[in-house]
Amino acid sequence: MYPQLHIPDGFLSPQISLLLWVATALLIGIAVRKTSRTDVQLITSQPILMGVLGAFIFAAQMFNFPVATGTSGHLLGGVLAGYLLGPWAGTIVMATVVGIQALLFQDGGLLALGANIFNMGIIGTLGGSFVARGIGTALGSSRSVTIFGAGAAAWLAVVAAAGFTTLQLGLSGTTNVAVGLPAMLGVHALIGIGEALITVAALTFIAQTAPDILSGIASPPKASPVRRMAIGLVIAGGVAMFASLFASADPDGLEAVAEQLGFLNKGVDAPFELFPDYTIPGLDGTASTAAAGVVGMIVVIGLLLVFARIARSRSNS
Amino acid sequence: MIVEPRGVGRDARAAVIATLAFVIAVALLPPGSYLALLLAWMLLAFAGALLGISPTRLARRGLVALPFIVAAIPIVFLRNDELLWAGSVGPLNLQVSGAGLRIALTALLKAWISVQASVLLLALASAPSIVTALRRMRLPDVIATSAGLTIRYLELLRDEARRMLRARTARSASPLGVGREQIGGTIAWRARTTGSLVGSLFLRAYSRAQRIEEAAASRGATGSLSIGTMPTADSRLTLKVVGVLLLVLIITLCGALLPRL
Repeated sequence: MYPQLHIPDGFLSPQISLLLWVATALLIGIAVRKTSRTDVQLITSQPILMGVLGAFIFAAQMFNFPVATGTSGHLLGGVLAGYLLGPWAGTIVMATVVGIQALLFQDGGLLALGANIFNMGIIGTLGGSFVARGIGTALGSSRSVTIFGAGAAAWLAVVAAAGFTTLQLGLSGTTNVAVGLPAMLGVHALIGIGEALITVAALTFIAQTAPDILSGIASPPKASPVRRMAIGLVIAGGVAMFASLFASADPDGLEAVAEQLGFLNKGVDAPFELFPDYTIPGLDGTASTAAAGVVGMIVVIGLLLVFARIARSRSNS
Repeated sequence: MIVEPRGVGRDARAAVIATLAFVIAVALLPPGSYLALLLAWMLLAFAGALLGISPTRLARRGLVALPFIVAAIPIVFLRNDELLWAGSVGPLNLQVSGAGLRIALTALLKAWISVQASVLLLALASAPSIVTALRRMRLPDVIATSAGLTIRYLELLRDEARRMLRARTARSASPLGVGREQIGGTIAWRARTTGSLVGSLFLRAYSRAQRIEEAAASRGATGSLSIGTMPTADSRLTLKVVGVLLLVLIITLCGALLPRL
């Protein structure tokens, strides 16, 4: 059971893809600005640490642990990155990781990359890190409490990313939200437990073996009891709102919105049509269509054989 | 993976633009335009052949995106238009929607073709040269540097992770032994073991970052690493981009003109 969060190209409508590209670009732009004047400097060169930790997140995603036969806990790493590097730098690292996964491993599409970065980088890392910080601040900012907050946020981040993925697919008309959403949320609620456990265990390990590294990382500021209560209430309210949004996500309403915005059908129609009734002039009749089909198939297979020959001579030379 | 240095020192901007434009053109094709998709794939197969990749190998590489089809399965059975079949299987009342089937199949084919496009991009330009090209196209410096380093240390850290995993397997944290007996502790224990591995991998990565930083500083680096030398600009870039736009236009026209099913 692996998280199904890397949307390939073709599953999102172009409109949704572009919209999410714009949103992602804006937020990553803010993140770039924030990291360039950040004071969280663990070692003098932040970009080096970010680059190496990008590779670390990549490698950490290989770690899984068996839950039962055929099922394994698995790490996505967004909140972990956010905790270790700070929300903004962590978001950039996660965005880079998702981008490289698309580019080098074809894990997720290129046009859908905006959406994938949005779900895993913005929602999963930036959102998750802020929730983690909030929980930490609300409960008193001790190391163990902030680590607990990171665990809770890691679970929430995976579930939220799955929810957003499904909503985007629903708006694109490629999935049925009424069926898809409970299924995706259910599966990822389980996957999220693995994410939370690994995140907490990893942070605990680092806090025990190398406390100096973690203490170099900005821990949430000490807050007064009133402020703590306020932050706690805000987070609880946010989570409740978010949960009710999903629980009540009226699929018909969503589809109505999609239809109104024209996603369902606009993506379907070509800019213009010359042969609206799907026939080519002069090619009426089943017999001639079939004949054309056979000829076409022969041409395609012939061309492919030629391509194969070209490929062989090219790769030998 | 980043083994082969083909295209190093070449301006990869044209390749990046062409791939993105191709993927967008394919994404814009309306559902059911199978002929246009076939044509787009034939174009890819031809380009692949010129790069020494046979159509069968390319087609096989495209299969990685297919498991995602699970997401589109509900609409095949839950849409109410163009019913192809309705009946009951056991206790379930099922119906197959023609429109749903068309959308699912088109999404699948588009995913399959788009993956092959990025496979070709990687055959055409090395990963570092793609990052350099993106940086030339105004990708922020922090991201470019961080991406370049991630690519550089990717295999190294994955190798490290692989060794740690092998060591763990040797000490067995798997739930079922050969005789299906329960070994390796509770789920929480297994999660803690895995988390500790992740933590110690982080510490190794962190100290490596420190070493890289020292090495870079001793060579006079200023924080923004230039990833290799900037290749000379492609003098025929404008011409190539025009060609790419023409290609996109052809694919879009095919989507509009060719009969759809």
